[in-house]
Amino acid sequence: MTWRQAVVIGITTFLAVIVQVTLLSRLGLPGATPDLVVVTVVAIALAMGPVPGATAGFSAGILIDLAPPADTLLGVNALVYIAVGFITGFVIDPRDRTVPIMIGIVGLATAASTLAVAALDSLMGATRVSWEDMPTMVLTSALYAVAMAPLVIVGMAWVARRVAPDVSVLTG
Amino acid sequence: MLSRRTRIVLSVLVVASLTFVILDLRGGQGPLSGVRSVAANVLGFAERIAATVFSPVTGATEWWSTMRDQSAQIQALTAENEVLRAEAETFANDRARVMALDEVLGIAGVGGYRIVPAEVIAVGPAQDFSWTITIDAGKSDGIEPDMTVINGQGLVGRVVKTTSNTSTVVLVVDSSSAVGGRVAGTEEIGIVSGTGRQDSLSFQLLDPAADLRVGDALVTFGSKGGRPYAPGLPIGEVIEVGGTPGQLTRVATVRPFIDVSTLSIVAVVTRPPRVDPRDSVLPRTGISDPSPSPVPLGSGASEDPGDTGTTDGASPVPSASAAPERETAATPEPSESGG
Repeated sequence: MTWRQAVVIGITTFLAVIVQVTLLSRLGLPGATPDLVVVTVVAIALAMGPVPGATAGFSAGILIDLAPPADTLLGVNALVYIAVGFITGFVIDPRDRTVPIMIGIVGLATAASTLAVAALDSLMGATRVSWEDMPTMVLTSALYAVAMAPLVIVGMAWVARRVAPDVSVLTG
Repeated sequence: MLSRRTRIVLSVLVVASLTFVILDLRGGQGPLSGVRSVAANVLGFAERIAATVFSPVTGATEWWSTMRDQSAQIQALTAENEVLRAEAETFANDRARVMALDEVLGIAGVGGYRIVPAEVIAVGPAQDFSWTITIDAGKSDGIEPDMTVINGQGLVGRVVKTTSNTSTVVLVVDSSSAVGGRVAGTEEIGIVSGTGRQDSLSFQLLDPAADLRVGDALVTFGSKGGRPYAPGLPIGEVIEVGGTPGQLTRVATVRPFIDVSTLSIVAVVTRPPRVDPRDSVLPRTGISDPSPSPVPLGSGASEDPGDTGTTDGASPVPSASAAPERETAATPEPSESGG
């Protein structure tokens, strides 16, 4: 991971967090809020690899917990997003970087992160998680993520290639 | 499997996150609160800018969702509005009825009349030139012909016919109606007859030399046995005095207290008071003496001799001597009005 990558990761996650809290959560869509942050983390991981992915997850998780009106435990989202970023960056094989597979990974990662954040939050006793709504939340967040995925993945890949080309994509 | 660098980066990130979690678990006043407020300020500033940039989009979606909800909302509000309007209208109506009943009960209570409340259900046609109404109380409620009908303002009329559930009432303004009247305060008596117009009665004084002034209030004098007219009921107010003192007969125009066109709640006096309430039932503004001493009427005394002993002291001699005269003045009424 280079410094340029780190700067790109910082700016991208910051923008993703801001767009999510100011735009996406105000669209009033049914079910979960479209989780652009997770999609961005996954896109970074797919474009740059596991370590940038984990870094993006840390950055995005800390920012989403700090951005008003968040009132959650600081660091919980970061832990989950680190795992999401690292694992998605790790499992992706450069040979099958086809769009459908990447979109599928985004959907799975989003569903898993929604579940994991809820589980961790209830484990910490910080927030009240309503488990009856969880299936709907997981499903809708995955669907929204899949819908956003092509644009974000393609955009992120373009940025990674143009701004911060790095060989670590292949080495992991 | 993982390179050394990867492991280091990963563990640093995880340890940092866990540190944040542990520090933040300590609650609001932990060491992170300062960091959080600074970060919230910076991010909040960025959010404000972003919100301004995105405001067309969010505004549009809000508008869209508002539009989506509006028709349902309008329907719900319209339905609610209709229910509330109907309720409000019935409320005003109920309130008016309650107030009318209250007034009738007030008169009945002050005068000591026993009443049966009733509602006007039909009014005779004006082109008949007779003022009659039908009320929803009849024989089954204990109504009999020649009972007095009142409302909160005063005398309404008398019952002429009854069926099992309705009664027909001749109003005091009917041209066939004649009521024995007494001027409140001066005790002058006379005959109040209907003119056939709803806002005026004519009052013929028996004593042509009597003093009668505009604004004097009239109450019923009372018939024998309280039928057809119970004593002490407000009739109306003198609005015009004709002739001069000393003429053979003096006739005054009287405006009835009741408003014939808005009659709704009335009451039938099923038993007149044992003691003539005199002027006590009159509206407080219309009479100077607020608490006249009850004096037994001749008819009332003859009807219930046992009562005379208790009220004898209050009964002045002139009143007792005038009683037979009043009886004669009062007795012609039923025959006049009945015929």
